[in-house]
Amino acid sequence: MIFNELLKTSGEWLKGAGPDHEIVISSRVRLARNLQGFRFITKMDADERKRCEDLIRKRILESGVVPETRYVELMDAEALDRKLLVERHLISKEHEDARHPRGVAIGSGEALSVMINEEDHIRLQVLQSGFQLRDAHRLANEIDTKLEEGLDFAFSPQLGYLTACPTNVGTGMRVSVMLHLPALVITRHIEKVFQAVSKINLAVRGLYGEGTEASGHFYQISNQVTLGKTEDEIATNVEQVIPTIVNYEKRAREDLMGKDRLRLEDRIWRAYGMLQAARIMSSDESMMMLSFVRMGVHLGLLPQLKIETVNDLFLYSQPAHLQKLSHAAMDPSERDIKRAEYIRGKLNGKK
Amino acid sequence: MKCENCGKRDATVHLTEIKKGAKQEIHLCEPCASEKGLPGKAHFSISDLLAGITSASQSKKGGREKDVQCPTCELTLSQFQSSGRFGCPDCYTTFKDDILPLVEKIHDSSQHVGKVPNRVSAEVTLQKDLRNLQVELKRTVKREDYEKAAQIRDQIRILEEKLKGAVAAEPPAPPAKAKPKKSGESGKKGGA
Ligand SMILES: [Zn+2]
Ligand SMILES: [Zn+2]
Repeated sequence: MIFNELLKTSGEWLKGAGPDHEIVISSRVRLARNLQGFRFITKMDADERKRCEDLIRKRILESGVVPETRYVELMDAEALDRKLLVERHLISKEHEDARHPRGVAIGSGEALSVMINEEDHIRLQVLQSGFQLRDAHRLANEIDTKLEEGLDFAFSPQLGYLTACPTNVGTGMRVSVMLHLPALVITRHIEKVFQAVSKINLAVRGLYGEGTEASGHFYQISNQVTLGKTEDEIATNVEQVIPTIVNYEKRAREDLMGKDRLRLEDRIWRAYGMLQAARIMSSDESMMMLSFVRMGVHLGLLPQLKIETVNDLFLYSQPAHLQKLSHAAMDPSERDIKRAEYIRGKLNGKK
Repeated sequence: MKCENCGKRDATVHLTEIKKGAKQEIHLCEPCASEKGLPGKAHFSISDLLAGITSASQSKKGGREKDVQCPTCELTLSQFQSSGRFGCPDCYTTFKDDILPLVEKIHDSSQHVGKVPNRVSAEVTLQKDLRNLQVELKRTVKREDYEKAAQIRDQIRILEEKLKGAVAAEPPAPPAKAKPKKSGESGKKGGA
């Protein structure tokens, strides 16, 4: 089954490669499209949804947009498998929870995913490792053009691609970059980043966490405006701000290493020790500890540890992944035990 | 998540504000929200904001008596106000007057300048070809080359058929810059 196959490796975007990958985790471009002649999701009956899904699925598979595209019909998928897809950033939470005919096409390496019948009929996503926004944009655009050859997208010369929500109308494009900014959080400079970014009309949101303090120090920067600018301009707006933030984080790391090295080392080694020794570990705690360890590896403080191992631990210590690995449904407290055990195993010699 | 005002209680009121086209999220607890004159229980979202803007634009124009309804999907304007989601592509045409100011507020623009599907750009090309043929037709008629004119008229008819097909498949859109009326006239003149 596809889910077990997915479970074997992490997606390409988590490989820890690509430009500036110590700080830029991934670059993502998402396009929203709808079919002319169909109503939007909220107004469709089950039959129309099914026809819409069939039509788009057929087009994706016949167009060969990406080799080895696999299709998952989410109506038939188990709850745990749907959660697995959310944790791998292949579908949205809304898509997981919906109760109508819908699906997702997944390209090889998980760089491409196309959600069908989400808020819009088509939500095409390209996810790349590191700072590769141009590449992600080029690929998304190519795939869109191929799909369009066989599908009639709802489009108006004035308002562009018509979407279910007016916040996406126009290009239908959302560009986002995921950043790991632990040093800016420690040095309390992260607020300044938020202020600077929101001044130029971009959104910042914490990742993985519910609250304002993003657990694991991951932040996502994305465009808000989708109309009145070309796709290139939108990508450039986001792209331009990234090097500044990356340098800011690098400087904050150097600063900590210079002024407060022992304290930083202590923090990182404590986190590492905790991960190696704990018997019960919540998801928030592991995210935080792994975040310090990740920074430690990049600062050369933990030479024995590979960054791929750390990246994998982020992925596999999530609830659905843990349960899939153990072939069992577990409640949160059972998961905390399993999580600690899994991380210990990976860090203590179990290569 | 803690309330952004008092920092003590959990935030249960989530408000999205738009200032100068930039969306801003505010998270408050119920006591703080009601202190600020915001209804506590309700969960604010982008759709509430959309609804607010839409009815404001409506009342500015003196209000509308009847709820407008989309003929294709039967969504009403007030339903859009509460959900923030359209029911079909035609809604953009149906609610155009209410939507354009809203779109302007969100994006600081109401004109798409990005990618155009090939199918649509093909139509734009067809329209251009058609206009060129019509100019040529005029010229041939002027120099009384009726044989040539008949040929051109056949070509025009074929293009017009093609264009009709393209337009039928086309989503409802605000009138483009092409002026089919005018070209129809010149076609008639050629026939006279
Ligand atoms: Zn409060
Ligand atoms: Zn409608």
